[in-house]
Amino acid sequence: MTNSSNSDQVILATGGYDHTIKLWQVNSGVCRHTAQHTESQVNALAITPDKQLLAAAGHQHIRMYDLMSNSTSPVINYEGMTKNVSSVGFHEEGKWMFTGGEDCSARIWDLRSKNLQCQRIFQVSSPVNCVCLHPNQSELIVGDQGGIIHLWDLKTDHNEQLIPEPDSSIQSVSIDPEGKMVAAVNNKGSCFIWSITTAECGPSKLSPRHHIVAHRCYALSCSLSPDSKLLVTCSADQTARLWETENFSLVMELKHGTQRWVWDAAFSADSKYLLTACSDNIARLWNLDTGNIEREYSGHQKAITALAYSDTPVQSTPNL
Amino acid sequence: MALYDNKHWLLSHIRKSFITSDDSGMCEAVMICDNIAKQLPVNKYDCYPCVEQDEEEDDLDSMAQSFDLNSDLQFGLRRHRSNTAQRLEKMEAEKKKAANTIHVKWITNPVPLSAEARAELFPRKDLKNTKREKQVSLLTELLAKFPDMPENPFKDFARMDGNAQVGVSTKRYLIFITMLNENDRRYPMEVVIISSAKILDLVGLICWKCSIEYPDVPLKDSVNHYGLFIAEDDGAVDWDFPSLDSREVVSKFGFTYLALVERDQAVQQDETYPLLIESLSLHHSEPGPSSTRAQLENQLEEDMNRIRGHIKAIGAPVYQSFNVYVLNKVRARSEIHLGISGEKLEIFPVIQQRVSARLWGGKQKAETFSMEDVVSCDVTEHKSNNRSTFRLVYCQKKGSTGDELGTVKHRDFESETTVASDIVKKVNHILEVRQSDKRREYIASRERKSHRKKNFHLGPR
Repeated sequence: MTNSSNSDQVILATGGYDHTIKLWQVNSGVCRHTAQHTESQVNALAITPDKQLLAAAGHQHIRMYDLMSNSTSPVINYEGMTKNVSSVGFHEEGKWMFTGGEDCSARIWDLRSKNLQCQRIFQVSSPVNCVCLHPNQSELIVGDQGGIIHLWDLKTDHNEQLIPEPDSSIQSVSIDPEGKMVAAVNNKGSCFIWSITTAECGPSKLSPRHHIVAHRCYALSCSLSPDSKLLVTCSADQTARLWETENFSLVMELKHGTQRWVWDAAFSADSKYLLTACSDNIARLWNLDTGNIEREYSGHQKAITALAYSDTPVQSTPNL
Repeated sequence: MALYDNKHWLLSHIRKSFITSDDSGMCEAVMICDNIAKQLPVNKYDCYPCVEQDEEEDDLDSMAQSFDLNSDLQFGLRRHRSNTAQRLEKMEAEKKKAANTIHVKWITNPVPLSAEARAELFPRKDLKNTKREKQVSLLTELLAKFPDMPENPFKDFARMDGNAQVGVSTKRYLIFITMLNENDRRYPMEVVIISSAKILDLVGLICWKCSIEYPDVPLKDSVNHYGLFIAEDDGAVDWDFPSLDSREVVSKFGFTYLALVERDQAVQQDETYPLLIESLSLHHSEPGPSSTRAQLENQLEEDMNRIRGHIKAIGAPVYQSFNVYVLNKVRARSEIHLGISGEKLEIFPVIQQRVSARLWGGKQKAETFSMEDVVSCDVTEHKSNNRSTFRLVYCQKKGSTGDELGTVKHRDFESETTVASDIVKKVNHILEVRQSDKRREYIASRERKSHRKKNFHLGPR
């Protein structure tokens, strides 16, 4: 495989308050494309499993951009919501898309054209901040501003609620790829971890496992690594913190002099690197072995609030 | 009399107007055959004389058919399109763009799913069978291939690129890059930059684009080695003019064609402001891009700078006098001597020779500030004429308020850039050593303020 096609498969997209979405060459730090996200900031980004499209959640819209074209405008525009869409993601085979929004609902969109079979809506009592999909592809974990985490079973329509801390707002939830652990952060800087036990056919059960006072103020996002060994929490205290999931001790603090609010983070497929999006208009690539910044992606005019990252795991060679 | 009630006159006027104002000549081609005015039955008295004349006769008169005349010329300039036309065009363009976008509106499933259908559409994937092997990501492979990516010195200028912006006013330039080989040099490179950028940023952006497009062309490591000159559209550099002042804002210059030229000698750029105080407590533990060699070099440079800073700091409390101008709100600026020592800061008016100067500017009183009261001193602006302004902030004692700051006041001065930066450094060194309570309090209050601002517009979405 040639080098250029290799680097095309590593996709980094960032978006934020300057109403643009940028695609980066991850290894050189060069911005390879800028798309317009008119009239709205970017709340969340997600790449489709086939790596053809990028979904951007904004005010009243979810817009899909073709990752391969040079066009600056979206190819599909999903609309019909009254408020901000705060999160977006996909079924692993791209059959449907899930979103969560400030109109107090989580939705499932059928991606097959003119087919509404999968369209589902799940109403809660407060604006939804975050949604993530269980790797078993049939349960959604929804976090809302009222501090409630809902476990919505798509197969049975059954749902369960958890309130880890009263009077707080769940900012972000994440589940590990093995489906063993769920992490959530709230606006008070607390991070909660649950273990999930899945019965053969009944709904999954969450049992509290750990509580970390991760940050001293507002936490913005959390993410479990692909190898399930690491957890990153991002915060308004201008740091991202890396925790190991064995006994949840702090591995390192990712901090930089000019760094401001850290909004979002994503691990590389082998959990060796971390990408962060930050209010100082720069996205950074951190080496998690050394804690060094390997690359900086500078080009946004305003704060970066969301990023999406996708790379491919390649089979490890015996000597590595 | 030819008036608006005269049919002939009106018809002939409309006809001539069409013919003369139409550049394409289409109107004339169409209208030449039928002159309606001629076909109208005419009353001898109200007939307009020209109508009777033959077109052929008109042709004899070279002035008669002067369709080179363009009615637009009457305005001296090109006529502006109306707002409506512009807006219509914009809407049209947006419509065209939107046509490429498929719009999908949220519709709830009209038929609620049955339990069986749900189970079929949202099956649960069995996670037990998924084995995970130790994997290496493509990113790790890519990075391993280029462990020491040479740091592009122009990287920071990339964010000035106007192409990558939406809703920001930009300026477009065609740049000839004189360092390229003969073939590439002939065609200008299009560079779009945000209007608020400085010429220095434009140079940096050109270098950045150049380093990406022509990686073989060696570029010097700093923008100071390059200058922008006015160029002709064929790429010839206009050497009669000096290079554009790198401190000016790009929007000031209206040239389309510019040329990037390597300077014989790098110009010394003024330090950027606000001036960084060569702080005595400078840490270098921050993680930077991980190129060990570059780090070592940086460290060495940093250490040297620190030593230089120390030497200067030691000499800082020694009395020194500077000639500067104090900038007043109402009166014109007046020249003063600014005396700075470790203890105090004194202002002496310079005795004006001219009567007029004495009248307008001579009112400056001699003043003394204790260094205890001075809380900050920063360069506020570098002007293009090698002069800079700097601001001295001090607090005035208030007998009753006790430990509070008192009223914070400031004075603005102007002097040559070198003098200004010397003064600012000297005062800051003194302040650094003294560490008065007032200064601490002032800095704390300033930070609080900026923190408040930050919080304000970065609130959660």
